[in-house]
Amino acid sequence: MLSLSAQLPLTPSLRPDNPTHNPKLNSKPTHLRISTKDPIFTHHQDEFHIAGKKYPGAGDLPEDEKMSLPAGLRREWMPEHVAVIMDGNRRWARMRGLPSGSGYEAGIRAFRVLVELCRNCGIRVLTVFAFSSDNWLRPKMEVDLLLNLFETSIKAEVDNFMRKDIKVSIIGDPSKLPMSLQHLIERLEETTKHNCGLHLLVAVNYSGKYDIVQACQTIAQKAKDGLIEPEDINELYVEQELKTNCAEYPYPDLLIRTSEAETLWWIQTIKYYRTLYGHCS
Amino acid sequence: MYLGDEMHKAKAMTWYRIAQIGNLGLLLLWHFVHLIVNLWYFALGLGQTLESYLISRGLLKRYNSLDSNRVRYLAVVMDSKEAGQTSEVIKLLQHLEDIGIKHVCLYDPEGLLKKSKEAILEKLTYVKLYEEATKSDSLVRKDITLEFASFSDGKKAVLKAANYLFKKNYLCEEQKEFVCTESHIDEALKAIGCARPDPDLLLVYGPARCHLGFPAWRLRYTEIVHMGPLKSMKFGSLIKAIYNFTKVHQNYGT
Repeated sequence: MLSLSAQLPLTPSLRPDNPTHNPKLNSKPTHLRISTKDPIFTHHQDEFHIAGKKYPGAGDLPEDEKMSLPAGLRREWMPEHVAVIMDGNRRWARMRGLPSGSGYEAGIRAFRVLVELCRNCGIRVLTVFAFSSDNWLRPKMEVDLLLNLFETSIKAEVDNFMRKDIKVSIIGDPSKLPMSLQHLIERLEETTKHNCGLHLLVAVNYSGKYDIVQACQTIAQKAKDGLIEPEDINELYVEQELKTNCAEYPYPDLLIRTSEAETLWWIQTIKYYRTLYGHCS
Repeated sequence: MYLGDEMHKAKAMTWYRIAQIGNLGLLLLWHFVHLIVNLWYFALGLGQTLESYLISRGLLKRYNSLDSNRVRYLAVVMDSKEAGQTSEVIKLLQHLEDIGIKHVCLYDPEGLLKKSKEAILEKLTYVKLYEEATKSDSLVRKDITLEFASFSDGKKAVLKAANYLFKKNYLCEEQKEFVCTESHIDEALKAIGCARPDPDLLLVYGPARCHLGFPAWRLRYTEIVHMGPLKSMKFGSLIKAIYNFTKVHQNYGT
């Protein structure tokens, strides 16, 4: 998750004949500062900057700012569904001489920022891959820490999700999760099911193969029970039974996998400048 | 008072002129930054071309020790525009043969590569189709097995596998409780002739970094590398992509 700032030589308020003055822009000059520090945590953890505009990371947004986009982005170009594989937490912690737990905690903070950004940009569905079925092979202590962290985060965020009209769905095989977590997930989904804003899909103990297998199992059972004819089973049926089909836009337009934050940040900064300049000119 | 107004006006004008000069300065700075960024990208592109040339000439020693056996199965995905360039596809396969890759899957969503199969096989020596290679034992040491895949080999194959399992487990005389697992789907895919190895490395040729519907069942641990347009494919960049893969340490979720 990037927090970028750069110098833009536009001072609309001081140019009496500026024909491109956009009344929606902040009346103060937009200033962009090149930051060389850690892109996520050098600012207050509840806010971030993109293209000179400040976005609150938590708390209520005023209605007129809720859906405004950073300069250079247009609503019709935004993806409807973004998926993020939240990888690299342990690597991030190792690079800073911290324990893995700190990496996961930092990942959760970054996740909150990500949710806010998606809300602000009008993205309809956000899928985050929090825990893969392969992750059970990690040391038990680490797995327990992850699941505890997950449980704590859900309890801490329920009010936030309700306030921000976020609908939460958990996809994956819940049977191996602790009972307390399973009950918490059920309550969370039940509580937020009528929310109409961002639809947040959290993949826990999920894998693509698992999803296909359970879809096939469900269809076979329905055919056995006479609910559908075997001859009518087609690709559409399989798609409908996938867990990922619970969203209005089930197919991700963009998949992001986070990792190797240091090098990625530098490359993305350069790409960002190119995009921004391309728009300004 | 009149003098005061005049002085005030002059002061405002002076500040306005200073602001204009400041604006101009900042604009020049902005263009300068953009020039630096463009030069950086230009230098990067030049560097990549030079590196590719040096790699293909064998002048960069570390790439000479490429262990191509680490890539047990390589998949190449291209969009329909790229798939239509048969001569480039043949060149790519010749490069892969030179590198020592033994098993290749060529994929495009619309099946154009399947249609150009004969034209491609004609131009290559030591190539056998995957179906023939698995049936016969007469695989020459130099042979490359080649698989052609398209969008219909993904979802349709899983659907056929599901149908097969349904008939086997729910329509048979002895109906036992059946819990479908990944290995059941694997067996079913094998039974219907759609089982293919999972690629270790997937090279994407096209404008976007997208696997374009390559059978998802086979992509669990596959490393995906975007190579850009097929027409700018270089031998050196292929070697680099494969070399980088062989040096990667995969945790596989652990």
